[in-house]
Amino acid sequence: MKKILITTTILAIIILTACGNNESQQPSFNETTEKDWSEITTAAEDTTVRIFMWGGDEGINQYMDDWVAPKLKEQYNVTLERVPMNTGEILQKLQTEKQASKDEGTIDIIWINGENFKNAKNNGLLAGSFVDTLPNFNEFYQTDDPAFETDFGTPVEGMEAPWGKVQFVFLYDSAKIDTPPASIVELQEWASNNPGKFTYPNADDFSGNAFLRHILYAKADSPADIYEQPLDKERISETAGEVWNYLNQIEPDLWRSGEHYPNSLTELDRLYSQGEVWMTMGYNEARAESLIDEGVFPETTRSFVMEPGSIGNTHFLSIPFNSSNPEGALTAINFMLSPEAQLAKLKPDYWGENSPISIEKLPDDMKNKFQSVERGNSVLSQQKLEESFLPESEAEYVEWMKEQWFDEIAQK
Amino acid sequence: MSTKKTTFLLLASVLFIAPALILVLQSLSKTWRFQAGEGFTFSLNSYQTLLSDPNLWTATFWSFTVGSGVLIVNLIIGILTGKALAILSFKGKSWVEVLLLTPILIPVLATAMGLHLFMIRAGLADTAAGVMLIHLVPTIPYSIKIFHNSYNQMGRLMLEQPAILGASPVRQLFTVELPLMKPAVRSVTFLTIVISLSQYAITAIIGGGRIITLPMVFYPFLDTANASIMAAFSVWFAALPLLMYVMVELLMRFLPYSQTLRRNRT
Repeated sequence: MKKILITTTILAIIILTACGNNESQQPSFNETTEKDWSEITTAAEDTTVRIFMWGGDEGINQYMDDWVAPKLKEQYNVTLERVPMNTGEILQKLQTEKQASKDEGTIDIIWINGENFKNAKNNGLLAGSFVDTLPNFNEFYQTDDPAFETDFGTPVEGMEAPWGKVQFVFLYDSAKIDTPPASIVELQEWASNNPGKFTYPNADDFSGNAFLRHILYAKADSPADIYEQPLDKERISETAGEVWNYLNQIEPDLWRSGEHYPNSLTELDRLYSQGEVWMTMGYNEARAESLIDEGVFPETTRSFVMEPGSIGNTHFLSIPFNSSNPEGALTAINFMLSPEAQLAKLKPDYWGENSPISIEKLPDDMKNKFQSVERGNSVLSQQKLEESFLPESEAEYVEWMKEQWFDEIAQK
Repeated sequence: MSTKKTTFLLLASVLFIAPALILVLQSLSKTWRFQAGEGFTFSLNSYQTLLSDPNLWTATFWSFTVGSGVLIVNLIIGILTGKALAILSFKGKSWVEVLLLTPILIPVLATAMGLHLFMIRAGLADTAAGVMLIHLVPTIPYSIKIFHNSYNQMGRLMLEQPAILGASPVRQLFTVELPLMKPAVRSVTFLTIVISLSQYAITAIIGGGRIITLPMVFYPFLDTANASIMAAFSVWFAALPLLMYVMVELLMRFLPYSQTLRRNRT
C-alpha cells in the first residue's frame, strides 16, 4: 500500500514537472500584423472571435451582444462571442497556459488596462505590437497621444489599442445640495456642515484609491509633480504628510464618524442609493445615467469635479499570446475602434462611455453626430471635462497610497 | 399548538422565510430605496435583463449538466469508498481517511492551479469533463464522509444478512443499502449540487470560457448597486438546485420498498 502510494506520488511529480517550460517564441503574430489589411480581413471571414471581458454591467454587455456582435457579423462575417470573466482569472489562465506551452488558446481578445496590463506585458502574456496595423486607429486617433503611449506609466508599445476613456467624477443629489464643493477645502467645510453625509471607499478599492490620489494631486504644488514623476517617497513625503493630515481631519465628519469605510464602490453606491450619504463617485463621467434610469439613483443626481481637476484613464483591447484567431481579433478590434462603433458606445442607450477618438479627424457628418450626442443631465459638458482632465500617475502610486492609507488612517 | 412548535414556526418565518420573501419581492420590483423614503414599485425589468442575457440558457444548461455529472460520480465514489471504509479494516486506515479529507483542507484554488497545468497536458482543460473533475475536489470528501457515517450507522449485521441470504452486491445495494441511506443520498445531493453550482474561480480557469456556468454570468453582477438584478439572479440560481433535488427525490421513489418505508418511519 505504502509503496504504491510513494510510487504514484513520485510519478505524478515527474509528470507535472518534466514536460516543463520549453518556451517557444512564435513569430507568427508578427507575420500576421505585417500582412495587408485586406488579407487579414479575408482570413478573418467566417471565423469566431472570443472576447473575454468583465461582465458585470448589463449596459456594456448589451452593447457587445446587441450592437457590436451583429454589426461585425454583417460587415465582416466574423462571429463575436463574449465570455464573461474577471481579468484576474483571465491572466491566471493565460499564465498557466504559458507554463504548459499551450499555443492554441481559447481567448482572442482581452479588455485590459493599468496594473493588469503591466503584469500581462511583463509576463509575456500578450501577442505583441499590433496597433499600427489597424486602419481605423491610424486614421481616426491621435496615435502619439501620451494617453495611448503609456498606461498607468507602463509603455504600451503598440500592444493594446485604446477602446474607451473614462474620467473620475463625483456624484451628488441636487435635491439635497445646491452647489457642490469646488475644491477639497470646500469639501472639508461641506462635510463639517453636513456630518455623516460623505465618505469614500477604502484604499483597497479601485475608486477609493483614486479618491486618495485626487487629494494627493491637490496637495502637491502642481498635479504634474505627481503624474509626471515616478514614485519617490522622499520627494513627496511632505505632500503625503498633508494628505494624511487632511484625511484625518475630515474623518470625524464622515459617515459613521469614519469608524468604518465602505469596502467597495458598490457599497458606497448603495449608501447613496438609500440616501444615507449624499455623494458618491467613480470612474466614467456618465456612470450615473444608467443607474438613474434603473431607479437605483435619484433622478436629481448630478455630477461635479473639484480643483485641481479629475483623473481620467484609457482602457484598451489586447490580444493574448496564444490567440488561435489573430486575424479575427485584429478585424474585431479595428471595428470596435471605428467611428460608428465608438458613436454607439458614446450614446447613452447602451454604455454611454466617452471615446478616445479624435473628433477633429472625423469626416464632417460623423463629427456632427458625435457633437450632437445628448449624454444626459447628470453628465458634465465635454468642455468642462476636458478642462479638468488630469492623467493617471504611475501604477506604483496606487499600491503605495493603499499601504500608507491603512497605516495612517485605518489603524488610527 | 405547543409553545415549542409556535416558537419554531416564529423563528423560522422571521429568520428564513421573511428574507427569502424579501428577495423574491425585490426581484419583482425596482431597487427598493426604503431608507430614502421611496415606495415600492413593481417592475419586471430585472427579469427582462436576466432573460435577455444570451449566456443565460447555455449557462443554466452547463450548470445542470456539470452538477448532474458531479452528483453521479459523487454517489458512486462516495458509496463505494464509504462502504469500504466502514466494513474493511486494514493497516493505515486512519491515514487513508485523513488523506481523503485533505482536499477540503487545502484551498481549492491552489489545487486548481496545479491541476490546470496537468489538464492542459491531458487535454482536459476547457472541457466539461475537466470542469466536472475539478468540481469533485471540493465535493468528494463530504460525500465519502457522509456515506461512511451512514454505513457505520447501518451496522455490519444489516450488511451481512442479505449476503447470507444470497443477494448479489448490486441487489444488496438497491434493496437494502440505498433504501436505508435515503437521508444520506439527500444530503449528498444537496451539498454536491450547491457546491458545484457556486464554484466561480475554478470553473472559470478550468472551463476556460468554453464552459460557462451560472456563477460566471452572475458573479460579476455583485459589483452593481442594482439590487433588483441581483435578486432576480439569486432566485434563478436557487431554482436549479431545488429542481435537481426534486428530480433525485422522484428517482428515489423507484427504489424498492419506498412506499413501505415511508409509512413505517413516522
